[in-house]
Parts: sequence; structure tokens; C-alpha cells
Amino acid sequence: MTFELDPERRCPVVHTDYRQDRPAFTTIPQLGVERELAPAVWNDSTEYGFLMVQRYDDVMELLKQTDVLVSDNVNAFDPHMQIPLIPNSLNPPEHTKVRRVLNPFFSPAAVKRLEPLAKERAESLIGALAEKKSVDLVSEFAILYPTELFLALLGLPTEDGTMVLPWVEAIFGGFFASTPEELQAAGDAVASFNEYFGRLVDERSADPGDPETDLVSRLLVSEIDGVPMSREDILVTCMTLMTAGLDTTRSALGYIFHQLATEPDVRHRMVNEPESWSRFIEEAIRVNSLIIQDGRQVKEDMEVLGCPMKAGEMVWLGLAAANRDPRKFEDPDTFDMDRENLNHHLGFGAGVHRCIGMHLARAELVIALETWHKMIPDYRLRPGAELTERGGQLRLQTLPLEWD
Amino acid sequence: MGAQLVVDFGKCTGHGRCYSTAPDLLTYDEEGFVSVRHAPMDLDESQLPAAKTAMDACPEQAMRITYGTE
Repeated sequence: MTFELDPERRCPVVHTDYRQDRPAFTTIPQLGVERELAPAVWNDSTEYGFLMVQRYDDVMELLKQTDVLVSDNVNAFDPHMQIPLIPNSLNPPEHTKVRRVLNPFFSPAAVKRLEPLAKERAESLIGALAEKKSVDLVSEFAILYPTELFLALLGLPTEDGTMVLPWVEAIFGGFFASTPEELQAAGDAVASFNEYFGRLVDERSADPGDPETDLVSRLLVSEIDGVPMSREDILVTCMTLMTAGLDTTRSALGYIFHQLATEPDVRHRMVNEPESWSRFIEEAIRVNSLIIQDGRQVKEDMEVLGCPMKAGEMVWLGLAAANRDPRKFEDPDTFDMDRENLNHHLGFGAGVHRCIGMHLARAELVIALETWHKMIPDYRLRPGAELTERGGQLRLQTLPLEWD
Repeated sequence: MGAQLVVDFGKCTGHGRCYSTAPDLLTYDEEGFVSVRHAPMDLDESQLPAAKTAMDACPEQAMRITYGTE
């Protein structure tokens, strides 16, 4: 394979702008091409550029080096991003302390408590769609369902979904912004979130809920090194959890339903074998990893896989490409839910920052898929549908489905 | 000494794949970590296959089975 070499960086250089929307299912193959160029590749498509590391073992190893590759900024596209995230932007040991406060809310036991509601919401939403026989899965189901559940998990009214969704969209616009307008909209959305969660914090301060089951009440009474969390940090935490929980589940559902609509053999197997949904989703998350990268910031001048990096520069840890690394996964581009190392994918990241919502996400996906296929076992992609995927953090922008 | 399941406390980050793939052998604590991550777990012969499944499922390779007096 031929490529340009950057003599100062001592590695190949590529120009692919991963912030851009692309035809569906073209981003990950492009990442795979760049993964195979070299262990590390410089990408100069953004103002500051970033170093892409995308082979499985390297990604795993660098995710663990939290002392030199820090999370002060986790957006490889922009080392100066002004949207703070808690706990994402924290490093150990502070990160560990905050995770300890939050983990119980997302533990398997907590998720189990939410399962009856998840089933009820899935049945209600899917039941309303069944008669339509033609839907955009993304906007009519995939986003409504996780939004309602996430609000419920936070002890918020599910009806607020329609209000908060545009804010989530605007914040994501800011993460992958290429225009000042997008950055401005993201800033406005953060302000709206702060006002919304600020009211909630005031309510819970005056009339606390059960800190075992009510997140904001727990944040209000929790202490880190003997000091209560500040109001500002509580607001940032709420906003972070909200943005993390909604977009991802929607995206996963989009890719999963595309596969099931276009591969009837797999769908028939799953309809007959609903106990296998939990295996199915692991492989689906490996093959179409919507979080294509986890960004890390270089703390001090250092070499990363032989490439000189300066303090403050960004490293792109390529989760999606690592999940298709032939060094780790046999026949990596093939969906095989019976593969032996099914659980080793990095779709939820790894190391101390691994996705806090992974148990919630898995339960939400399994319940949605089980319920849907009991009610609507057969469906197809609307003929002629042109599908695009968002850059930055993948998602199918629409997914028109129909059935008889 | 028989077999033991040992969790490397420093490596375990709570993916939970071990207790998900071997639910009859392992459970989790209130934070979502495998409950035996602080102390080795004695295994009898019949538990070995489930322990092996759990060990192989760990993305961080934080789990191992020791035999004898290691």
C-alpha cells in the first residue's frame, strides 16, 4: 500500500475528515484502510490534527495509560473544546471517586429495576407503530424509547423528552462542529440544560428523594473526599449522562434494525431464538461500533508508538477499527454471533472510562428487540432508500422500514 | 489446594461480562463489579467450565484460574 509519510511525525499522514456525513456503511471500511497503513497515522483534516491509533492491542494498551494520555479533553477533533464532561473529562484518582458515586445507578441491579418500565414503554411505542406499516425507525422509535427510559432513570417526567432532545442534538453538533454557528448552538443548549437540571436540583434540595433510587438526590448528599459535589459539577454530570445515553442507543438501534431488515436469515433465526438477543447485540456492537473513537490528550511531550507528540495534542483511539482488527477477530468484517471472543469488543470502550451505561444499554436493546420481533417479526427496508451516516459519532440519519 | 478464580483488582474495570456469561457462578456488587474481585474464589471441579467461560469473556483479561499452591 502506498501512502504519504510525514517525516516530522514519523508516520503516514491521511486527510479523511471524519466529521462529515457519508453514505451509510462507508466510514468503518475507510477507518480499516487507515488502520492497516501503520500502527499510528497522523490525520491532518482538522485545525490541529490528531494521531490515529486503531489496532486492537495498541488501543487496549493506550486506554490503560491514564497517567500520560489524559482525558482533560476527549474530543480528538478539537483539543480546545469548551464543553466539560463529568466524569469523562476527569482522570484518576478524581475520576474513580465520581464513578463510585455514579456506578450503583447503572449497575445490573439498578437496570433490573428499570426493566418492567422498559418493556411497558417498548410495547406501547411499538404497538402504536405496528398499524402504520411504514415508519422512519430512527425518529419514530429509536430515539423516543431511550429518551423516555433515561428520563425515568433520572427521576424526570418522560414527557420532557421532546423538550430535551433538540438540546442533545445541538451539543453533539458542537462536538463535531465545523462552523461557528454549530458551536454557538451547542453553547445555548448547554445553557438550556443547566436551567432545566438547575430547577431539578432546587426541587430535590428542598424535597430530597431516596438517594438509593433518585440520582440527583444522591449527587446532592454524596461527598468526594469529604466535600459535597458543587452545584455546577452536579449539573455537568446530569448533562453528560443525558447526552451519553440518548444518541448512542438510537444509533445502535438504527444499525441493528438495518441489518435485521436486510438479512432475513438472521432475523428469522432471532425470531425463533429470542434467548440469543444478548449474544446478537454484542456482535452487532462489534461490527458497527458507533463510537468510532475515544480521544485522549497527551499530558507531556512523548512518543506514541514511535511518533513524537507534544503536550496537549490529541490521540484518536479507534474503537471501531480495533473491533474489525483481523489480528484480534477472525474474519472481522463478517457478523458471527457465535464467535468465541464475542465479548472482547471495545464498543463500550475499556479501562477506567469504560461506558458506565453498558448494562443499561444492553438491557434496553434486548428488550426493544425482543418486543419488536414479537409484534412485528417481518419487515423490510423501503426500496430505494438512500441512507447516510453522520460523521463524528456514527448514526443512520434515517431508516425507513415497511411491512405488510 | 484446589482451583481458585482470581480477579486482578487493578485490571477489572467492571465490564460485567464474567457474571453475564456465567450467571450461576458469579454475581455483582452494588457498583456493578464482580463480587469476588477482592478475594480469590475457591472452585470445585463442577464449577471449572463456568469459571473458564467467565475468564475467557473478560475484555481486560483480568481473570485467571490458579491450580494448587501457586
